[in-house]
Amino acid sequence: MPQLNTDSIKERTFDAIVIGSGISGGWSAKELTEQGIKTLLLERGRDVKHIKDYPTTNKLPYEFEHRGEVPLEIREKAPIVSRCYAFREDTMHFFLKDKEHEYIQEKPFDWIRGYQVGGKSLIWARQTQRWSDLDFEGPKRDGFVVDWPIRYADIAPWYSHVEKFAGICGNKDGLKELPDGEFLPSYPLNAVEDHFRQQVSKKYKGRYVIRARAAHISKPEPIHLEQGRGQCQNRTLCQRGCPFGGYFSSNASTIPWAMKTGNLTLRPFSVVHSIIYDEQKGRATGVRVIDTNTKEEIEYFAKVIFVNASAINTNLILLNSTSRRFPNGLGNDCSLLGKYVAFHHYGGRVSAKYEGELDKFRTDGRNPAGCYIPRFRNVYKQETNFLRGYAAGFSASRGFYSDTAPIGEQLKENLINRKLSGWNIGSHMMGETIPKKSNYVKLDPDKKDEWGVPLLRVNVDFDDNDEKMLQDYFDQFSEMYAEAGFTDIKTSRTNNPPGLDIHEMGGVRMGHDPKTSLLNKWNQLHACKNVFVTDGACMTSTSTQNPSLTYMAFSARSANYAIDQMKKGNL
Amino acid sequence: MQRRTVIKNIVIMAGGIALLPSCSGDRKKASILLKNLNTSAEQEALLAEIAETILPETGGSPGAKSMNLHLFTMKMVDDCHTAEEQKLFTKGLNKIDQIAEDKYGVSFAKCTPEQRKELLVQVAEDKSAPKEAATFLKITKQRVIQGFTNSKYVMTDLKQYEMVPGRYNGYFPVEKN
Repeated sequence: MPQLNTDSIKERTFDAIVIGSGISGGWSAKELTEQGIKTLLLERGRDVKHIKDYPTTNKLPYEFEHRGEVPLEIREKAPIVSRCYAFREDTMHFFLKDKEHEYIQEKPFDWIRGYQVGGKSLIWARQTQRWSDLDFEGPKRDGFVVDWPIRYADIAPWYSHVEKFAGICGNKDGLKELPDGEFLPSYPLNAVEDHFRQQVSKKYKGRYVIRARAAHISKPEPIHLEQGRGQCQNRTLCQRGCPFGGYFSSNASTIPWAMKTGNLTLRPFSVVHSIIYDEQKGRATGVRVIDTNTKEEIEYFAKVIFVNASAINTNLILLNSTSRRFPNGLGNDCSLLGKYVAFHHYGGRVSAKYEGELDKFRTDGRNPAGCYIPRFRNVYKQETNFLRGYAAGFSASRGFYSDTAPIGEQLKENLINRKLSGWNIGSHMMGETIPKKSNYVKLDPDKKDEWGVPLLRVNVDFDDNDEKMLQDYFDQFSEMYAEAGFTDIKTSRTNNPPGLDIHEMGGVRMGHDPKTSLLNKWNQLHACKNVFVTDGACMTSTSTQNPSLTYMAFSARSANYAIDQMKKGNL
Repeated sequence: MQRRTVIKNIVIMAGGIALLPSCSGDRKKASILLKNLNTSAEQEALLAEIAETILPETGGSPGAKSMNLHLFTMKMVDDCHTAEEQKLFTKGLNKIDQIAEDKYGVSFAKCTPEQRKELLVQVAEDKSAPKEAATFLKITKQRVIQGFTNSKYVMTDLKQYEMVPGRYNGYFPVEKN
């Protein structure tokens, strides 16, 4: 190999390497570079520059060849990603097509991926809620998995840190189960959502319908303007990439910020094959990268390595990082690497209609956030026949419709003079699933992808607890809807496999004890302290909150800890 | 002049070689490039008349034909429908002409606007209408409506779509008619 040249090694040596440029990797890179740490940010996909590389962002619906529909040929070749709600003609260039990185489904699992600079931060749903101690203490109280090695007080300042920079809208609701954050103004509930809020708070103790907390700049602060970002313009075309930088993405925020420091080297087209472990030094010394254009293998070196490859790919990289010291994957002394993978249960929806005096209102403009109902089951003590509970997204909306039965002039007349529809109510559950040893990812012993990395085998499924929880969600929401005077209440199962929630978590869980967990309270591998995992892979349990904000906070917290340890000469 | 003739001949020859096995003589092709459908210029013209019957030009507002919604329909059927639906679409399109011949003794294009409308209403509503014709009409109507409501005319000129609202009001009073 032509890598013996010392100048070449010097050029390939950094203070830190961050694997993955999505929502967590962007944060790791920002924190490290801001404090003078020379950082290499690796991304397996292509580069996507803010605004410049959002090819569809300003297109009108009629400027799309298929008016937003994904052609059948693409859907048939990529059935997994085609099931994702956000995969449309205007956004499909930001989603990985199935064949571009295959995996083996021992059980159905829809793995949704965004292989580009910015990762899935370009296409996420932007909902951001904090965890509370009621979540962190869950496993210990209810006797599943292992105790989280941190509590809310450990992460609260880091939630504040990332919220201020990212720009999170929300209302200070004063709920113990959903701590308030550093909020920009929230988007108001509409007439019927507000009606539901009042009815629920009147009739149910401990249940709240609140304004969503979301990564939208409802009113920019100087820190957002400094990033070159402006106010959200309520387009709700977010997954195309926002020309205003109105929602948070690595592309609009953390990566350009890190770039400005002069300390960031961004390398797209770089699949990380494995992390290099030096037996003599007893630490990781770098990473092996496959250049996806040339297929050349290149090694990069650094004092610390942040693995932010997205939950499942982080598992894959660690499992593939074998050495004499770690024959079963880096840091895998407990043999639990890849196990206890969990997700969020999006298995049910409840819809309804509203008719009544609020029909005198409609909405004008668009709400990019929506509303949210925090978990109200088993919050303070066990009270149902299932463990934990679910949060829910909720919305009431009114659109326009036309009677399309006629043919000819009458049809045209109906299409031009649309009628205002009644109020439609919808909600979807987001349930906590209990991580289990039998829900795992592992490497296939034989099959490899085009970069020489073993294919992943995924075996993740629902269980009886999930089924009971789904039934309870149906029952409770049907009842709450009826209490609020809604009619035509309908429950529906989504019947989606795990993965389509795009909240896959775990496999490299945090814990106190190296015998039962992979990461310590600083997200360091217990057995290889200069490797940090701060994406979804680190999650010991899932709770019900949309997880990205917590990954951002973990990344910022761990990066600052790593800097501190480097300064002290410990890393 | 001579040079141009030579070039023309070469093109015809090259085209002839490439297309001979699948092309039936002098059948003129559709005006847009299609991957799956084998639609002729004649079928395209028929589809345009059908689309125009579904959404006709009326005082001051354009109809399906001038908005090229028949071409949009062909494009969507070509790219977004299954092979089975594409087959039914083409068969059903031809069937419409046949129904016109049987019913009125002339092709669809030669029917009066009233006859055309009557024919399509019958295909849409009569349960005994041939399956391919009913499927064809269902697809075509759906795509013509989609093309119309997603057109520049409706979205921008008639202001049914606002790309950058920059506002949200959840208690907006409904206008009294």
